[in-house]
Amino acid sequence: MNWNEHLPALLLAVPLFGAFIAPVVCLFGKTTRNILMTGITFITLIIALLLWKNVLAGGPAIYVMGGESFNIALPSGMALPIRIILEADAFSAFMVLCGAIAAFAGALFSTNYMEKFSGMGRFTSLYFLLTVGMLGMMVTGDLFNFFIFIEIASIASFGLIAFWRDKPEAIEASLKYALVSQVGSMVFLIAAGCLYGKYNALNMAAVGSLLQFGTMEKLVLVFFVGSLAMKCGAFPMHMWLPDAYAEAPSGVTCLLVAVSQASLYGLMRVCFSLYGINLGGSFIPWMIIAMGLASMFFGVSMAVVQHEIKRLIGYHSVSQVGYMLLGLGVGLLVLKDARSMAEYGFTAMKGGIFHIFNYTMYKALLFLAAGAIYYATGKRDLNQLGGLARRMPFTTFMFVIAAAAISGLPPFNGFVSKLLIYESVFAVHPALTVVALVTSVLTLASFVKVFQTAFLGPEKNALVSTREVPAGMLLGMGVLTVAVLGASLFPAWTLSNLVEPAAKALVDQAGYIGAVMGGGL
Amino acid sequence: MFGTVYTGFGYWDVTSWILFFGIAAGLTLWLRAQGRDDYKEGTDQDEIYWSGNVVPEDGEDISVPASSAYWGFRKALEPYYNRLIGMHTGIATDIVGFYVLVVAFMAVFILIA
Repeated sequence: MNWNEHLPALLLAVPLFGAFIAPVVCLFGKTTRNILMTGITFITLIIALLLWKNVLAGGPAIYVMGGESFNIALPSGMALPIRIILEADAFSAFMVLCGAIAAFAGALFSTNYMEKFSGMGRFTSLYFLLTVGMLGMMVTGDLFNFFIFIEIASIASFGLIAFWRDKPEAIEASLKYALVSQVGSMVFLIAAGCLYGKYNALNMAAVGSLLQFGTMEKLVLVFFVGSLAMKCGAFPMHMWLPDAYAEAPSGVTCLLVAVSQASLYGLMRVCFSLYGINLGGSFIPWMIIAMGLASMFFGVSMAVVQHEIKRLIGYHSVSQVGYMLLGLGVGLLVLKDARSMAEYGFTAMKGGIFHIFNYTMYKALLFLAAGAIYYATGKRDLNQLGGLARRMPFTTFMFVIAAAAISGLPPFNGFVSKLLIYESVFAVHPALTVVALVTSVLTLASFVKVFQTAFLGPEKNALVSTREVPAGMLLGMGVLTVAVLGASLFPAWTLSNLVEPAAKALVDQAGYIGAVMGGGL
Repeated sequence: MFGTVYTGFGYWDVTSWILFFGIAAGLTLWLRAQGRDDYKEGTDQDEIYWSGNVVPEDGEDISVPASSAYWGFRKALEPYYNRLIGMHTGIATDIVGFYVLVVAFMAVFILIA
């Protein structure tokens, strides 16, 4: 058997298997649980790497569940695919890689971070389920299964955000997220149902090949865009996000960052692969650009005035999502104009997609560093922190790298993706670049505040017994630091091997549709 | 080795930046090495100077808290911040309300666009 052919299914089967065995395995003690957490997420990361390599070499990977043959999407005599089909093109493979790195780093970090707590069987199981939901959203080729994976990820998130259930804030954050997330998911389901009612298909490629942009399709598009923009934290539907990110255990927040990117993936998949050239006018692209600008500016404005470290970083998540919406929105705006796409649209998309990778790595690293501070000091309020650089040199070093990267300081990866966005969206209107630049300045100001108040300054008496965090937590942060430094030092390699294939796959609606409707491999 | 990124309007070359950083760092370290190293440890020369006052023992007494950082910026933009923070009520139904509002806005405008 050639295992490479089964990678899309294995990508989901491995963490799902981990989720089922976790409650039993965790009965055998801490060491066994840690081996399971790191082992399963590491294998998932290897599968993600192999999938990415295979997709780059051989084009989109199709996997049919429950059919006579796993690689025939459209059996002879059938006009539409009816099975559960996984479809991984270069954009999916890129997203899967980002998500798998974050899941592995979060698992490594959690081995030490969660060691003092009970109920770790449930924690481990929910962590793997969240990983399955996130990866499933990224590889499914089917609207209904996208909804299913959203639900798997959402339900696991509710449990994990409220994991410290003796904290009322955690319960409240989980409840808020549950309410808004369920409303969004139901609206998504209604939209998918409308398309199924009209086209008798749920497969995205099949619907994309049949879609006519009428009144119903317009409303369906609005429902999809609204729901997925809310789930990725776009302004003004972002208000659940700082609460949820702040209250979840930090290893989970690291994974939630990647999960929010799965929703952004869904948004882009709907706009580019499902609607694509049938998107109608420029209203939706401009709406995405407007949400991007508002997310950037208002998100960072709120971050500047926060003094609770995880809430501050949470508001920066809203702001950073804005950059991606801006870049990808500009790409969507010129999708039907080949000249503008070649001149600046494709660069904006590359910037947006590169920023997805960068954001996932440095934002996850920032949350882990904030978790390390909480683990070492028991405090999250910056007013009570100070002088930690002397006591926690490794955490400080990695925090500085992540803070410099998110602030867009050269030579870090955040600078490169922002530069691509600045210089391309300028062609649409200079005001777009101005907002992005002001946001970057405020981001730097915000992280200067965090660095100065938490790590520099005189040592506080309450913190003299603070020690550096254990090796597992440092390793978790180390994985993300290596990813940030790698993308910073080798931006050309990252762009040509990771980002450009993903951007090309995203704009190639015919290629996405053809991989399934052409009969599979 | 590290490659150049072309943006369509310009480029970014990480090698040049690292070279520049190396030269700047070398120059900075050379300037630092020119300083005096004949101070006497354990004397007043080695003490923290805090405007002539006695330095408090707890660092907390001489720290500017994070909530006071950028005070002027916040004060200047007070009306803006009052509105922005006022939006963030933390009430779950308000969060859903914003979602409904955005979807309704898009639905109306996409239909008349």
